[in-house]
Amino acid sequence: MVPVANAPILEHVVESLAEVGVDQLVFVVGYRRQRIQTYFGDGDDWGVDIEYVVQEKQLGTGHAVLQAEDAVAGDFLVVNGDSLVDTSLVEALLSADGDAVAVTRSDQPTDYGVVDIEDGAVAGVEEKPRVYDAETETINAGVYRFDDAVFDAIHAADRMSLTDALVRRAAEGRVEAVRVEGWTDVSHLWDLVRVNSAAVDGDHDGADVHPTAYVADEVALGEDARVGPNATVLAGTTVGDNATVGAGAVVGNSVVFEDARVGPNAVVRDAVLASDSSVGPNATVEGGRADVVVDGNLYRNVLLGGVVGDYSTVAGGATLEPGTVLENDSRVGTGATASGRVGSGTEVRR
Amino acid sequence: MCGIVGYVGDDDALPVILDGLKRLEYRGYDSAGVCLRTDPLTVHKKAGEVDELVEAAPESSEATCGVGHTRWSTHGEPTDENAHPHADEARRYAVVHNGIIDNHAELRDELEDRGHVFESDTDTEVVPHLLSEAEGELVERLGAVVERLEGSYALACVSADSDEVVVARQDSPLVVGHGDDANYVGSDVTAFVEHTRRVSYLHDGDIARVTADSIEVWNDGESVDRAVETVDWDVEAAEKGGYEHYMLKEIHEQPRALRKTVSERTDEVEGEALLDVSDEVLAEHDRVEFVACGTSYHAALYARRLFEEYADISATAEYASEYDGPHAPEETLVVAVTQSGETADTLSATRRAAREGATTVAVTNTVGSTAARETDETVYIRAGPEIGVAATKTFASQVVTLALVAVAAGRARDALPASEASSVLADLRDVPGAVQRVLDNEDRVAETAEEYGWDDAFFYVGRRLGYPVALEGALKLKEISYDHAEGFPAGELKHGPLALVTPDTPVLAVMTDGTRPRETLNNVKEVESRGAPVVAVTSSDADEGARLADTVFRVPSLGDMEPLLANVYLQMFAYHVARLKDRPIDKPRNLAKSVTVE
Repeated sequence: MVPVANAPILEHVVESLAEVGVDQLVFVVGYRRQRIQTYFGDGDDWGVDIEYVVQEKQLGTGHAVLQAEDAVAGDFLVVNGDSLVDTSLVEALLSADGDAVAVTRSDQPTDYGVVDIEDGAVAGVEEKPRVYDAETETINAGVYRFDDAVFDAIHAADRMSLTDALVRRAAEGRVEAVRVEGWTDVSHLWDLVRVNSAAVDGDHDGADVHPTAYVADEVALGEDARVGPNATVLAGTTVGDNATVGAGAVVGNSVVFEDARVGPNAVVRDAVLASDSSVGPNATVEGGRADVVVDGNLYRNVLLGGVVGDYSTVAGGATLEPGTVLENDSRVGTGATASGRVGSGTEVRR
Repeated sequence: MCGIVGYVGDDDALPVILDGLKRLEYRGYDSAGVCLRTDPLTVHKKAGEVDELVEAAPESSEATCGVGHTRWSTHGEPTDENAHPHADEARRYAVVHNGIIDNHAELRDELEDRGHVFESDTDTEVVPHLLSEAEGELVERLGAVVERLEGSYALACVSADSDEVVVARQDSPLVVGHGDDANYVGSDVTAFVEHTRRVSYLHDGDIARVTADSIEVWNDGESVDRAVETVDWDVEAAEKGGYEHYMLKEIHEQPRALRKTVSERTDEVEGEALLDVSDEVLAEHDRVEFVACGTSYHAALYARRLFEEYADISATAEYASEYDGPHAPEETLVVAVTQSGETADTLSATRRAAREGATTVAVTNTVGSTAARETDETVYIRAGPEIGVAATKTFASQVVTLALVAVAAGRARDALPASEASSVLADLRDVPGAVQRVLDNEDRVAETAEEYGWDDAFFYVGRRLGYPVALEGALKLKEISYDHAEGFPAGELKHGPLALVTPDTPVLAVMTDGTRPRETLNNVKEVESRGAPVVAVTSSDADEGARLADTVFRVPSLGDMEPLLANVYLQMFAYHVARLKDRPIDKPRNLAKSVTVE
């Protein structure tokens, strides 16, 4: 589960929902669902009831929603677990009149479904249009209000696509397009760096900071996170539970997940260090902007020093060029330099 | 080992008690019952699981006071008659009881001579009859009755005369809960934790009167105050949270539990383990003797090696029920390892050691438990409540806690240099992440369970730290899948057990760091040549063992903690074999969570 300011994104979502009285939640879970179940349980800690349904194969969002068919009745909301929604957004949908979808403006409309709106209602959706095809910058935020008739629409939809089901519902009747603020997509890793740095506060309780270390105010430290002698943790950084920043290391504007380790004198900036990953002594993630390719799309000039995937290792003295992404279980050997994308389970040697 | 719950307040007592029984079901589950305070008393009881009682009982009642019980048989078959509560002939007094009344036979003869008619075969039933003969208010009657009882008991009694529950404790745990407009009684906190977290643990010899607005406690006739503590246990912990079984939930809780176990206990800069145990206690003794039962015993076997290695001290682990007392009491530190802190065999071994003059330490999961109270020092493993009868996360937390104690002992005895201590501590802090990594392979373990699950028998082998893990792996499988499983030191195979090995008996070999894997390799070859399939758990960089085995699971590199990671694979294997066979995983036949009878 991806953390922002030391709480999983999903937890921020649950809190927003609970705050405005949405207290019956159905989680559609699949990949690594055990972590989610272990974290949230029955939802008692958040004052909500959580029921789990399992999506065995990840066949898209419409398919995911279908899994909940037996678990919901009447009106319900559909919310993504990996983008942040605030309470005003949820309230706007709750007060809508029947079916509705949250729409918002985006600088990158080509990443999303662009919504064509007529008279406050959905008239059509263009999925990931090419730049010159995008008619507006109003995009589908992926937060919906439906009643259980939507399940029929999904069954009828092309490849069980939720967008297609949305268009069908809009053709059959009115689907209100609710303009919202307070939606933050975190689907790209550089989003995580940016969103995290905006969200962190000065929560240092429960961490173990050596008296000679410097920890800036806008830093969130998890339970039993360690900051060693003479280490520096700069603003915009989250250090997760039981994670370690070694002696003399410098970490800034980064998200360090639970159990991850930054070795002595390492430098880590604008980076994401995933669960139980490790950056060795004197290793460098210098930080800064780079062009990053994801799924064949080029994203220019994004602020991303680097990503170290779950259980991956950057060994002593190694360097990540800006924009480097190490997938899970990969390794950059002692003194080696990595750039671009390093596949899961592979090793970069000097 | 059974569960007790009691309620006195303004609301209908029946749903509160039935809900408490559901939560206590893990403590015992062959029959259950409730007694509601009406005039005369109303008793509903039933052989079988709590659900059968719920079916048999009405949905609501007028009563605002009552007690309930879920039973694991020691005296008398699990029948409707033998289920608690037990009452006297006139339904004036009713009792639920945990423990064993040793002199029940003579009391029963005596009562029968005086014309009492017994309805059950239980030891417990003497108590309501004795209560009916005694004089005064209920609390005075119980005070007189316990004078006559020998053995161990947690008793909760109600009478038809007034809304109050009166309880007595001797060698069997009992807690009272302080609510807002109600008060509670339980054999453990789980019984009522959803209603209140403010509790008082009763001591041996205590008698308490619990009414809706007061809790009074006496010991030996003197009024006493028992401290009110707040438990940080979460109701959530006692729910399944989307998992099919508590056991699987608890297996997956291990990373979180382990983070709590090590939290604020390691100073890697100075190479110190930060525990509440005094350095003198660790430094002064020349011998360590671990006493424990079941899974805790396996944790103790693991720990004894770590103590010898880190603290350079002679250490042994013994089954508590086989323990004959310390050899040289003054020089010996006796460490009781018990999840519940109430395991009768372990308590009795520890008491014996203390009587003979040894210093005692408890390593337990349960704050306020008897073991914690009676020993000189206590170290908590902080695993959180464990409901599944088959212990999983508490084993992991026990081993890591004991490793911390071993490091502390090594430092206190000047046997472990700070730099080495620091690296061991760094490994201990890496255990949670490494366990998560193992858990991520659950699908492969499930496939392996399907492949071998229907074979005839299962043998687990390992050396050194792999040996206790082999024992633990086999125990898990026995407990929940009912398969024949045995753990052996790998080198012992050829001295006998090899005769049992056939192509239909898979051998699970623990071959990580800390288990002398190269030597075990020879034993693996021995069983392979008899056609047995081999499932090996190896280090991340081991090649030879991996080539030989039919199925290989790898653990992240983590020194002496690698066998602990291997154990996580074996837990998942046991779970998935049992699931394949549709066993009642959280409630295996004949077993109870913690055994408070010797």
